[in-house]
This record gives sequence, C-alpha cells and structure tokens, in this order.
Amino acid sequence: MDFSAALPVADVVAFNRPAIDWHAASPELILLGFGALLTLVDVIFLDRAKQYTAALAGIGLLVTMVPILTLANDMSETGPRVMFDGAYVIDEFSLIMKAIFILSGYVVILLSTNYIAEGDYWESEYYGLMLSAILGMVVMASSRDLISIFVAFELLSIPSYMLATWKKRSLESNEAGLKYYLMGVFASAIMLYGMSLLFGASGETILTKVNASLSSDPLTGESLSSSTPVLTLAVIFVIVGFAFKVSAAPFHNWAPDTYSGAPIPVTAFLAVASKIAGFVALVQLVFVGFYARADVFQPLMWILAAASMIIGNLIALRQTDIVRLMAYSGVAQAGFILAPLAVAGDVGDQALASIVSYLAIYAAMNLGAFAVILAAARKTGSTSIESMNGLFSYAPGLAVAMTIFMFALAGIPPLGGWFAKFQIFFAVVEQGGTWAIILGVLLAVNSVIALYYYASVARRIWADQAPDGDLTPIRIPPSLGAALVLTVVATLVFGFLPGAVSQFTDVGLIAGG
Amino acid sequence: MSDFLRSYLTVAIFGGVAVALVGVLLGLGSFLRPSRPTATKTMAYESGVDPVGDMWSQSNIRYYVFALMFVLFDVEAVFIFPWAMRLETYGYFGLVEMAIFIFILVLGLAYAWRKGMLKWV
Amino acid sequence: MEITSNWYLILSALLFSIGAIGLLIRRNPLVMFMCVELMLNAVNLSFVAFGDRLGDIAGQVSVFFVLVVAAAEVVVGLALVVAISRRRATTTADDLSVLRG
Repeated sequence: MDFSAALPVADVVAFNRPAIDWHAASPELILLGFGALLTLVDVIFLDRAKQYTAALAGIGLLVTMVPILTLANDMSETGPRVMFDGAYVIDEFSLIMKAIFILSGYVVILLSTNYIAEGDYWESEYYGLMLSAILGMVVMASSRDLISIFVAFELLSIPSYMLATWKKRSLESNEAGLKYYLMGVFASAIMLYGMSLLFGASGETILTKVNASLSSDPLTGESLSSSTPVLTLAVIFVIVGFAFKVSAAPFHNWAPDTYSGAPIPVTAFLAVASKIAGFVALVQLVFVGFYARADVFQPLMWILAAASMIIGNLIALRQTDIVRLMAYSGVAQAGFILAPLAVAGDVGDQALASIVSYLAIYAAMNLGAFAVILAAARKTGSTSIESMNGLFSYAPGLAVAMTIFMFALAGIPPLGGWFAKFQIFFAVVEQGGTWAIILGVLLAVNSVIALYYYASVARRIWADQAPDGDLTPIRIPPSLGAALVLTVVATLVFGFLPGAVSQFTDVGLIAGG
Repeated sequence: MSDFLRSYLTVAIFGGVAVALVGVLLGLGSFLRPSRPTATKTMAYESGVDPVGDMWSQSNIRYYVFALMFVLFDVEAVFIFPWAMRLETYGYFGLVEMAIFIFILVLGLAYAWRKGMLKWV
Repeated sequence: MEITSNWYLILSALLFSIGAIGLLIRRNPLVMFMCVELMLNAVNLSFVAFGDRLGDIAGQVSVFFVLVVAAAEVVVGLALVVAISRRRATTTADDLSVLRG
C-alpha cells in the first residue's frame, strides 16, 4: 500500500540542522556532563561514592567557569553570540549572571559539605540535584524565548522543591518543601497562562519578536499607543509568576516558612541563587520582551517594589529567628531590586546596570550571612536571634564577619551594600517623575528601617552575654572557612572598589533589547 | 442550526434512547421480582471470592512509587514520537541527539533500579 | 453557529479559573495537585487554540514541553505527599502548621 498520499510527508520542509556554537554552549554541556557523571558514580558505587560527590560537584562548577572566562575574553571581538534564531543568546549580561550563579553555587557546595555529611541527609543525590538546579539557572541567563525560559525555570525549580525537603524524617523539612512546591507550581501555572496569552497576542515566542509585535498591531501594522486587554493580562500574569519566585510581596508567604524548614545551605541556595535566577528572567522579559509596553510593566513593578519593601521590612522588625529575619529582609531587598524596573522604560541603561551590580553584591553578602548563621548553629544548634548573643566573646572571627555582612546588607558606606543601594536610588531618582520620586523616598525610608534590625543583630553579637556563659570556641571546618573568606573578601572588594564592580556590570542594554 | 451541532444531535438522541432503555428494563425488573435480601445476597460480588475489607480500602503506598515512575517514563516518550516520524530527514544528527536524550532517561532508570525502587517488598 | 478558536479560549479561561480557585480553597494536597493539573491543561488548550488560530506549529510544540515538565513536577509533588503520609495518617495542608510566625 502507498501511504504517501495519506500522510503529508511529501510537502514537509527539509530539515535544516541548526548551527550550534559549541564554544558558547560549553558551560551548559559541561554542567550537564558533570550532573550525569555524579548520577553515574552514584549508580555504580552506591554508598562508597559519598565521600567524592561533593568534591566532584565543586570541580564541575570550577571547570564550568573556564569556558565562561574564555567566552568573556572573546566577547569584545565576536560580540553577542546568537543561537536558534535568537532563542539563546550569550552576551555580557548572561555571562556575568552565569558567573554569579556558578560562584554562588560553589559557595553553597562549600557550605553543604560538612553540614550534609554530618546531619541526617541523603548525600549522593544532593549534589546532583544542586548541579541540575544550577544548570537551570545558567540556561536561564541565556534564554530569550518564552519556552526556553519556562524550561529553565522548571529545571531550577524542581530540584529546589526536593532539596527543601532534604532532611530525613523531619516533618518541618517536608512541610517546607510542600509549601514551596504548591506555591511554585501555582506560580508556574500562572506564568504559563500568561505566556500562552502572549503567544496568542503576538504570534511569537522569541522575546525580541514578541517585543516588536507588542509595539505595533500584528494585523494592521499600526503602532499601538496603548496596550490591549489581552496584552495587559499576559504581561501581568507572566510578571506575577516570577514575583512568586523572587518572593516579592504580596507573593512572599512561602519564603519564611520554606527558609526556616529547609536545611540551612539549601536556604542559602534558595535565598541567593534561585532568587537571582528569578530576577534574571524578569530583567530579560522586561528589557527584551516587554520593553515596548512600559505603560503596563512600570506601574506593576512600582506596586510590587513598594509593597515588598514596606511589608518585608515591617515584618522583619518582629522576627525572633535569624533565618526568618533573613527571609523577610530578602523580601525587602527584592523590593529594592524591583524598584529600577519601575523606571526601566525611561532610564534603561542605568536601571539595568544598577540591578546587575545589586545582584552581584546581594549574592556575596547574603551567602556570607548564611555562612555565619550556619557556623554559629554548629555550636548552638539553633537559629533564634538569641543564639547570636555574645558571639564575639567566643568566636571573634565570626562576629567580625557577621558584623560586616549585617552592615553591608544595611548599606553602611565602606561596605558592599552601600554602592548597590546608591546605584538603585540614583537610577530611580534620575527618571524624575512624581512616582519615581515617591519610590525614591520609599527606598530611603526603608533603608533606615532595615538599618534598625540589622544593627540590632550586630548589637547582640558584641554587647550581650553568651547564653549560659558557655565560651567554648566553634570549630570551623576548612570548606566552611573557605566560604566565609570568599564572601567577606567579595563584600569588602565590592564596597571599597565599586569601580571594579561597575566595570563588569555596566553592560549596556541586553543584546536584542 | 449548523451541521456541526446537528451531527451532535444524533449523539444526543442515541444517548437518550440508551438511558431510557436501561431505565425501563431495570425498573421493570425491580417491579416484577420478589425482594428477600439475606447477608450473603447483599455481599459485594468480587469474582466469586469473599470480599476483603470494605469498598473504601486504601491502596498500598508502594503502588504510588510504580505509578510515579510509569508517569515519568511514559510522558517522556512524547518527544520520541515526532522524532520517529521524521527519522530519515534528521540523519545522524537526530540519531545522536536522541541517543543523548535516551541515555539520560536510562540513567534515571538505572538509578531507580540500583536504589531498589523496582523491587516489590 | 460555528465553533471558532474563541470557544476553546473561553473554555481554557474557565478551566484555568476553576483550577486556580480550587487550589486556593481546597486543603487536600491531592486535590490541590489535580487543580494544578487542571490549570496546566487549560494552558495547553490555550496554546493549541492560539496555535490553530495563528496557523503556527509553535503552539503545539509548546504543549509538548508543558506536558512533560508538568509530569515531572507532579511526580515530585506526589513523592512529597507520599513522604509526608508515611509520617502521619492524614494529609491536609492545614495539618501542616509546624512552621509559623
């Protein structure tokens, strides 16, 4: 029988093999390779593999840095590398973000090594899942297409759900994971529905083409002076989906519970790397996909930024647990990072540069603060703020480090945070409109509120008595020490030499934007 | 009424007749037959074996693990069908791509096997 | 009366709303998973309907990815529920209240 008449095979277009830039794709391929290698080692050697998995994951991340550095070196000659019709772009922004993801992933692995080995956790799978989550983030930094953004988002979320429940036989950890999971899938369903509307309204999935069709009517070709209801809904849904991921108020409810129930290194990972990945997606969507529709995303970002700053800071004032305090301070900082997006339509370059430098500094100081919390909890076994009392009397090094991180987070001048906050502030005020000035005032007021609770942690460390007068020093394992040194150095360098940061983070508009 | 809806009218009529026929036959049966229930007669029919537990018994949690694995590997096959339809046009490139995809899936299966997930304990 | 892609879009919006409301008001994690599935399948329907209207295959390709990722997601969620139900007899989201503040 002849099926060729029945099947439309004859008129199918010939397959054009997509050109793959192997150099540009190598960071992702190396990470994938190491992820598969970790699983393979686990499958073959079972429990005997445990002692090598952490080292293998760390090596994998360091090897991945090599092609990122060579790509950055070539960038001045080749310019942005574009693959798959613009769905996957390697430009300066994506390289900086990939480097931040990989380095913070490396610090998290340093934090995890002793914590996971000494506690009641599964070990081998932990690092494999960590690598796949980092792979998702690295892919996210280059995705300029709705479907790739979605896949990258899920690749980083699904392992995170599992990591949040990682503690064996702990109902708290299970609860943390289930809450995170339910909020996460709700967010991704909302985001996906927005993406389907966006696809329907524009007929495109690649962000640059979406942007082009948002500015003009696809049928008549006339430029749209205002948004259509479908477009508005689509943009709002997509942004709200990511607002969950970055724990912006009023979508922040999962964060404190998940952070305090999950193992501390995982909390650091969620609070830093996973959150930054959400911002990377938002930045790409706003600057590449929705840039023509500033009239839609700017008011939304304004509301999210203002609500996050106010709610996060006010609730943080009442916290008695240091991890929950960091969770709410993370909500407030999400508000800070969203603030430039509320003026991005007018002062794009400045807004982007300020966000990128804030993200770099945010990673260093938050990871550092979690490293100190983890080190202190090795002795006290608790994460209440009281357990920090008198830290200076028995662990002066940790006390100094924690003070540096707290003041950096508060934005006290010689430390990293002030440069980040000032850049955000100037980007917002630069725009000059009434709403921008109000947002600027909110930024300033909230910096002062935040100073109060950060400083009160520092006061406990230096002024209060250690609980029960117990002055036995804390034994800090080498990997944790390395993580502390790395984060302290990064926070200090970003503070004293802000030029060093802005040199890297002044990326101009994203390629294709 | 459009042709589209009219074609559904046939379905509706057919459904109506089916419901009416079953209703009439069952109603007639219960009207005519004598009703003398005993414990044995009202017992649920489980292929001739005495029923164990009541209707709302919980299924063993082990079933879930198998169900989860089935769902995962079953759904991944959705990528293989369109690839298989145009296997020849893709050439070696497509073959290598699919080999990598299946390798990663097999890695997952090997993991489940080594960790004893495929054993019914 | 002709069935246009608008009908499918309205259906998908309805399904999505039912799923979203169900997720917010129901407290049994298994029912919540079903609501999530309903939302994701509403998205699939919407992608297919738009793809059909635009004559663009990308709509159907997107559905493949959504489908596979949703399966992976639900498997993780069910595994979490299994892990929790091994520790306690009942599983409702309200019982999960060890963490609060």
